[in-house]
Amino acid sequence: MTHTEIIKTPTPASIAGGSGNSASKTVAWVASRGIFIFTAVLLVFSAIFVNGFASSVNIIDVFHRASAIGIVAIGMTFVVISANYIDLSVVAQIATSGVILMALSPTYGVLGAMAIALFFALLYGLVNGISVGFLKANAVVVTLGTTGIGAGILSLVTGGTIYYGPTGGPIDAFGDARVGPFPLSAFVLIIVAIVASIVLSRTKFGFMIRSYGSNKQATRLAGVNSGGVVVGAFVLTALAAMIAGFVLAAYSNTAVSTMSEGYDFRALAAVIIGGNSLFGGRGSIFRTFIGVIFISVLSNILVLSGFSFAWQQLVTGAVIVFAVALDALARKAEKR
Amino acid sequence: MSTDPDAQTTRKIVIEAHDVVKRFGGAVAVDQVSIAVGAGEIHAVVGENGAGKSTLMRILAGILTPDSGGVSVNGKLLEPGAKASLEAGIALVHQELSLIPEMTVAENILLGVTPTKFGVIDSARQRKIAGDALDQIGVSVDLNERVSRLSMALRQFVEIARAVARNPRVLILDEPTATLTPAETDYLLSMLQRLAARGLAIIYISHRIPEVFRICERATILRDGQIVEVMTIAETTPNAVIDKMVGRELKLDLQTRRVADPGAVVLSARGIRAARVNGIDLDVRAGEIVGIGGLVGAGRSELVRAIIGVDPRTAGTATITVDGETKNINGYGNAVRSGIAFIPEERRTEGLALDMTVAENITLPNRAALSTGGFLQRGKIAEFATRLANTVGLRPPEVDRAAGEYSGGNQQKVVIAKWLGREPKLIVLDEPTRGVDVGAKSEIHRLLRELADQGTAVLVVSSDLPELLELSDVIHVVRDGRIMGTLSPDEANERSVMALAAGERVASSS
Amino acid sequence: MSTIKLQETQTGTWNRVKSTVARRTEGRAVVLLILVIVVIAMQQPIVFNAYGVSLARVALVGLVALGLTLVVLQGELDLSVGSTLALTGVVVATIPDLGLGIIVGLITGLVIGALNAFLIVIVGVNSFIATLGTLFALRGLAFVLSDGRPVRVTDIDSALTFGRELLGPLTPRVLIFILLFIALQFFTSRMRAGREFYAVGGNRQAAIDAGIPVKLRLFTAFMLCGFVAALAGVINTLELTAADPTAGSSVLLASFAAVIIGGNLLNGGRGSLVGTMIGAFALGLMQVGLTFAGTPREVQDVLIGIILLVAITTEPNNLRALSGRVQRLTRGKANASA
Repeated sequence: MTHTEIIKTPTPASIAGGSGNSASKTVAWVASRGIFIFTAVLLVFSAIFVNGFASSVNIIDVFHRASAIGIVAIGMTFVVISANYIDLSVVAQIATSGVILMALSPTYGVLGAMAIALFFALLYGLVNGISVGFLKANAVVVTLGTTGIGAGILSLVTGGTIYYGPTGGPIDAFGDARVGPFPLSAFVLIIVAIVASIVLSRTKFGFMIRSYGSNKQATRLAGVNSGGVVVGAFVLTALAAMIAGFVLAAYSNTAVSTMSEGYDFRALAAVIIGGNSLFGGRGSIFRTFIGVIFISVLSNILVLSGFSFAWQQLVTGAVIVFAVALDALARKAEKR
Repeated sequence: MSTDPDAQTTRKIVIEAHDVVKRFGGAVAVDQVSIAVGAGEIHAVVGENGAGKSTLMRILAGILTPDSGGVSVNGKLLEPGAKASLEAGIALVHQELSLIPEMTVAENILLGVTPTKFGVIDSARQRKIAGDALDQIGVSVDLNERVSRLSMALRQFVEIARAVARNPRVLILDEPTATLTPAETDYLLSMLQRLAARGLAIIYISHRIPEVFRICERATILRDGQIVEVMTIAETTPNAVIDKMVGRELKLDLQTRRVADPGAVVLSARGIRAARVNGIDLDVRAGEIVGIGGLVGAGRSELVRAIIGVDPRTAGTATITVDGETKNINGYGNAVRSGIAFIPEERRTEGLALDMTVAENITLPNRAALSTGGFLQRGKIAEFATRLANTVGLRPPEVDRAAGEYSGGNQQKVVIAKWLGREPKLIVLDEPTRGVDVGAKSEIHRLLRELADQGTAVLVVSSDLPELLELSDVIHVVRDGRIMGTLSPDEANERSVMALAAGERVASSS
Repeated sequence: MSTIKLQETQTGTWNRVKSTVARRTEGRAVVLLILVIVVIAMQQPIVFNAYGVSLARVALVGLVALGLTLVVLQGELDLSVGSTLALTGVVVATIPDLGLGIIVGLITGLVIGALNAFLIVIVGVNSFIATLGTLFALRGLAFVLSDGRPVRVTDIDSALTFGRELLGPLTPRVLIFILLFIALQFFTSRMRAGREFYAVGGNRQAAIDAGIPVKLRLFTAFMLCGFVAALAGVINTLELTAADPTAGSSVLLASFAAVIIGGNLLNGGRGSLVGTMIGAFALGLMQVGLTFAGTPREVQDVLIGIILLVAITTEPNNLRALSGRVQRLTRGKANASA
């Protein structure tokens, strides 16, 4: 059979009859592709109309702020794609790893502290993952609980102490390092994104996460250990949150138990705004990455325009509500 | 359509359907059906699986709106919608229980019509009405007990009390005895007779011919959505009813009949018990196609799912023997690793991830073979998936297309294709060609025969009698979670299978 | 007329007690409450004398949990209760006239409930996701209105009268809590609309078939939940004479813990306000006991988090499924070795 013949073959969809009217098609299109347009428009708009946006200092700052949030969001993408809604406990996880890095490096060395942080990250991932994957508990409630436990213990142990790294130490050096005009953290973000993207789209494990999120029962009936897949998704999220904690701590060369407030929210915002479906199955790291750029730029222009942090929260929250409503409407339109 | 003029009733007609037609997509589920039931009559509606009985009942109860034709009560045509039907006095006892587990018996009986004073539940009246309804059907149960704590049988009776509490003129029951013991069935049947004696028109849907002969006055026999005949029970025999249900002489394509040459036993199940499965022994040999027949709700799907560990079993063991090595089947993961493939009944929810591409669906059970060091081998996957898509005749064989874009028949081919990649020793198929077009159906049949010829053991559950008869080397007929009889190809025909399935033994006529 | 006995009925007082106990859903909450009371009686008996303090704490946890229970009974979830509480608090404090502020605050709660219900019932967003969105959006709004700082109530004198003891040792907050519990308990056990919440959560299709206005019931539950959360925000602000825009997060944790330990099934249809009440009592007393014992606040959060985690992972249905799996595994091993 030649290639042209394949193209001439009527598509199954066309055999089955038309699919939806033009309005529902538009909704579906905006839900899946709209973010790319929105991001592009936002970038162009900011460059033209927002004073100071296009300056190199500002661009670098955007990158800097985007890196920690982006790393968390990329990790969270695994939980979202596995159709488990969200890992709320990333807030506690980021702070835990940041504090461990700053507080324990003097005693155990940077690598020793990182190893200890890794242990706690794995603990978070396992407790969340086993509760959700094997004990079949609701992910939102479970991670609400582990947030309470983790944040409570951290706050108890540190007592609100702010840990400063020695000036000029390795952590400080990492935070200040630049490659060309870009901070090192931006490269960490890009490396995490590339690795995560490969894991999600190229590996057997990433494939099982996507498949599980798309149809749990069919995945189980294909002989997949579905509990193990869920544990894996939570562990990956925990590892990303740990790295974000390191980056965040290194950036300011300090760490405190409240350093990551609002990160659950902004990471989820990036995942959703990027167009990853909260019903699971659909999505990619690239989408999350675009989502991160979108909310980082949005926050940035709000700051440049003189709006407070509170306004950023409100606007981001409203965008989330809009995005989930769009996602649901697109699903509805598709079913018709 | 032929209607026996003798089967007209002399009773005063209460409910009547006129030339009702209902299509789902392209398929006609109910085709030009007219039915009239009189006061005090118990009228049976019988037919094979998929004959259109349940659809007809839902039209009568106003849950489905017919494409043409209508339903009238006491000569008045009803508005469409469940509400109008309820108000006209039509009460339906569902096949699936529709009780609220955590509410009390009294609350369930009056669900949706709870008597209130200023929004506050009038519990005295609630208990009175509910108690009266239970008295009418002669069942005693604590009105304050939560339904979740009742036996299945009691729930069924509460369901009937709920219909009776609405003072209906017409009572429709859809397979009410499916979960009952013989004694409970006996009680339910005499209860229906008492209700009919008080002037209620009762429409009784059942697969079970003996029950129909015990209580019904007339029977409307449906086949492929059309009325075959309306018979007066007193003037006919169970055999005649079964003949009418089955209808056609099956024209088996003899060229497709293969000569089975079964080898060693591959699957051996002993004493299997689970929900709806009451102790079943079963063997499947290499190169053999074993068919499981029976009516919907007989416990067939539950049986195969319990054997291979998809659903838990309460008792029994199952083993699989591959290359002389026998292993216990403990749990589903273990079954898959031992070389079992399972094609489930619900294609869209259990068989395929519709959002994902054909290639991805095919990769899922074959992920280990298609990856190296944890990385998927893209080139290998494309080639592997295309090869399997061609084997099963997927059209068009574009493996990068989402599975959900394909028609039902092509989707089913993908489900089969994904398992063929593992070269399974045993394939278990639950309703392999439901919702599949004729062309794809014969291709799937050909494929299964080829697999058996190559030595694969095949276990098929099917409601489609011709399919079962064409494919199977041996047919076990299941009723009430037990094997009621085993038929060889020579003994098996539509009548002999249906007779075992419906609970009426008939002498093999061939 | 003859009747048939289809199930053994329990006779004897002991059996009847047993079956009554078995049909309740509050078991785990009762166990926790007894445990807490025993420990407190041994370690900090003063908690029982300081019932003013204890009841106030129970009321704070309990109020939000009561509203949440209504939504959970229908098989839905409202994660935005904490933010609703914080936002209404800020609204009350921002408006100079206290009476007007309270009214606007309560209306805010109703509007939030309606917005959640709209997203869930009309647009078709899953309730976890929709309320997760409003959780963040409302928190943002609270920050905008307050500039991220605590806001002091202007009319402090009027607010202070609110904290005074009104009836014996009972402050208005405790009284409102008790009255609201009685009203909602009456609503869900004696009123038709409230009882039908169980039908909506227990078997939604059957509820629709029976002609129950399911969408209306969902709207009612979400709006009541929003209203109660707003009420909690108002009371909190009056007692503290200031509103904290960050107030929501620990309340969310504690109220969820009370609902789930109270035996309310997250899938809906099973549970009770009584269970939630007992859960709230156990958690509230525990918090007061720990405070009197001088342990830091964080210990309370940790303990409540542990209780929530244990409660959600030991939901009886999940446990049954798990024990089935373990049994099959062990049986499989036994067979293999035989």
